[in-house]
Amino acid sequence: MRSSKIFSVWHGITLFTLLFFLSPILIILSSVFADYSENWSHIYEYVLADYILNSLFLVSGVSLLVMIIGSLTAWLVTNYQFFGKRFFEWGLILPLAIPPYILAYTFTGLFDSYGTMNEIARSLFNLQQNEMLFPNIRNIYGAIIVFSFTLYPYVYLICRTAFLNQSRSMFEVGRTLGLSQVSIFLKLALPLVRPALIAGTMIVAMETLSDFGAVDHFAISTFTTGIFRTWYGMYDLTTAMQLSSMLLIFITFCLIMERTSRKNANYSTIGSNFKPTQVKRLSSIGSSVCFFICFIPIFIGFILPILEILNWSLRFNTSFFNEQFFSISLNTILLSILSAILCTFIAMIINFSIRYKNSSVIKSINPFLNIGYAVPGLILAVGIVQLFVFLDNNILNSFEGYFLTGSLFGLIFAYIIKSYALANSTYEAGYQKISQAIDDSARVLKSKGLNLLFRVHFPILKTSFFTSILLVTSEVVKELPATLILRPFNFETLAVSTYIYASEERMVEAAAPATAIILIGLIPIFFISKMIRTSRLEKS
Amino acid sequence: MKNILEIRNLSHAYDQDISIIKDFNFSLKKGEIVSILGPSGIGKTTLLRIVAGLEGVMDGEVTISDKVVSKKNFLLPPEKRNLGLVVEDRALFPHLNIEKNVMFGITHIQERESLVQEYLDLFKVAELSKKYPHEVSAGQQQRVAFARALITNPDILLLDEPFGALDKNLKDELHDETKKIFKDTDLSVLLVTHDEEEAKYFSDRIIEFQEGKIIIR
Repeated sequence: MRSSKIFSVWHGITLFTLLFFLSPILIILSSVFADYSENWSHIYEYVLADYILNSLFLVSGVSLLVMIIGSLTAWLVTNYQFFGKRFFEWGLILPLAIPPYILAYTFTGLFDSYGTMNEIARSLFNLQQNEMLFPNIRNIYGAIIVFSFTLYPYVYLICRTAFLNQSRSMFEVGRTLGLSQVSIFLKLALPLVRPALIAGTMIVAMETLSDFGAVDHFAISTFTTGIFRTWYGMYDLTTAMQLSSMLLIFITFCLIMERTSRKNANYSTIGSNFKPTQVKRLSSIGSSVCFFICFIPIFIGFILPILEILNWSLRFNTSFFNEQFFSISLNTILLSILSAILCTFIAMIINFSIRYKNSSVIKSINPFLNIGYAVPGLILAVGIVQLFVFLDNNILNSFEGYFLTGSLFGLIFAYIIKSYALANSTYEAGYQKISQAIDDSARVLKSKGLNLLFRVHFPILKTSFFTSILLVTSEVVKELPATLILRPFNFETLAVSTYIYASEERMVEAAAPATAIILIGLIPIFFISKMIRTSRLEKS
Repeated sequence: MKNILEIRNLSHAYDQDISIIKDFNFSLKKGEIVSILGPSGIGKTTLLRIVAGLEGVMDGEVTISDKVVSKKNFLLPPEKRNLGLVVEDRALFPHLNIEKNVMFGITHIQERESLVQEYLDLFKVAELSKKYPHEVSAGQQQRVAFARALITNPDILLLDEPFGALDKNLKDELHDETKKIFKDTDLSVLLVTHDEEEAKYFSDRIIEFQEGKIIIR
């Protein structure tokens, strides 16, 4: 018992925020109980099987590939000394800066029948105009490659941490029992990081299921494209919501799997007998093999798209930085910074109230707020539109026309829900580093409530505050489907602009906004890579 | 002499089945220094946190200066108890320099500067006033923690293993200085420690917590 009051203003704020945040998701789920229209029957009979099979095939393919790329590269950079190892330790996360839809656009530019790579191949090998060296990429296999090479860093990051925490002694015992280096990886190291591997793969699966831009560009029928077509093609919002509910239930299952795996994310807990892994030097052949294994994912997921975008930029020439580009960039930056500040502020208040009131009610509520990151932007948009139409028609009807619907509020609301988990995890990590004795001393020195927050916690957690703003900003800049649907009329962001140009096959003009998105996406990568370098120093 | 702190029939448990403090009675007089001695995990720190108002009580009553501050379903928050607290890890605010750390609990603006200077001098840390906690030694940090706690003129000073992290020489030096200051200012002090020598040297009275019983020496 920390206070004589059982229910305080802090509880009130947290509960209200929770309900407000969850309402779009609850609205979507409630559609399961609504009437099923003729469109639903049509979808059920003709296309639902396609949506399910394509989505499952896509997720399975991507999961398998990211598990191989992520775990193998993490194992190599943790256990072996080879040429470029120091660069690869952080360089392997570079593809995170490129959203899947941008990789999809650049791959189309590269590998289409008249794409850059085929043109180069024709001129190099004197091929005919109708001959192609590289196969068509606009299919489900191309999508699997696109998602795998942009999302594998999630698996890499989580596996690297798990491998770093494995004790050398265990592998030494393995060697004495007759295991080869390869067997040690397959029979000891990999099974031991299985929970971490599953947790990372589940994040990738959720991101893949949530995506709209890449699958739409490759014209693959998945749940997200189906939801979009039902809403914008059939103008049937209820059926779109019912489809969304199905996807939401599956994503919730993935989320529960991810959480459960994360609880046991590392079988090999560091104990007093922990001996860090001994990095092995390799022969020149071994070193070259490791170099290529680590270089290929960076080449496909980062270097290749950057080269293609540079190629577009050179062709677009002087009009690259035109007035429209600056106006769109300004829109994007202002909107993302505003959303990031609000999201970070909410995370700060909730984390503070958890700490200050030490309340089990708030503690148990907070994880629910985190599920927003797993909800596809498209589904969120559907829920928010429904919520805002209801509020406009029933509560804000004194305003002429619609006040909330079609305004920037919807966008900001969606961004906050999508990014809350990022802000929250940053604050949670920050608070773990502040000793409870600091709070106790401050309270005995008559500091309480907001005074404690702004005089003690906020200055100590300044880094968490700015890190959170940075992470959320870069996430918001990349967000496409929610922005596409919720943006006010004629309002464009960098992501929307890239999407519009790409959907009109004006790839060259998509270069400017795509470059801006990647540059902004590189900022948090820079900080994460700095953390990786620091952790390396601490480990050594 | 008048009791400044009274604890009557206090019971507390983190788990419903395992009582950490059971039916405990205690009083602290004005100007008295009392040590609570005992091994780790026996409930000494919990007792201190209950007095500070950082923990509630399951049963019994805590009175400070004749005012009930804790009883079942009632807890006067720590900021309203006028206490000082010094803990083993000092808990200095890392974002504030030494001067601002000492100033933290002072609300009256006018005499703040001179009062802070007085306490910085008293604890021999005046020359460090512009430095940050991580820039000074553990012993100096402990002096700052004492200055910060005493500047508010608390009714009772609560000390939770305040010298635990210091080496022997530094500990002896601080023992002498702080005991003198406590006696000169007629301060009531409740010290939690597992160091019997420290308890004997410091205290007017020792309460020993042992498994299941409390021995008053």
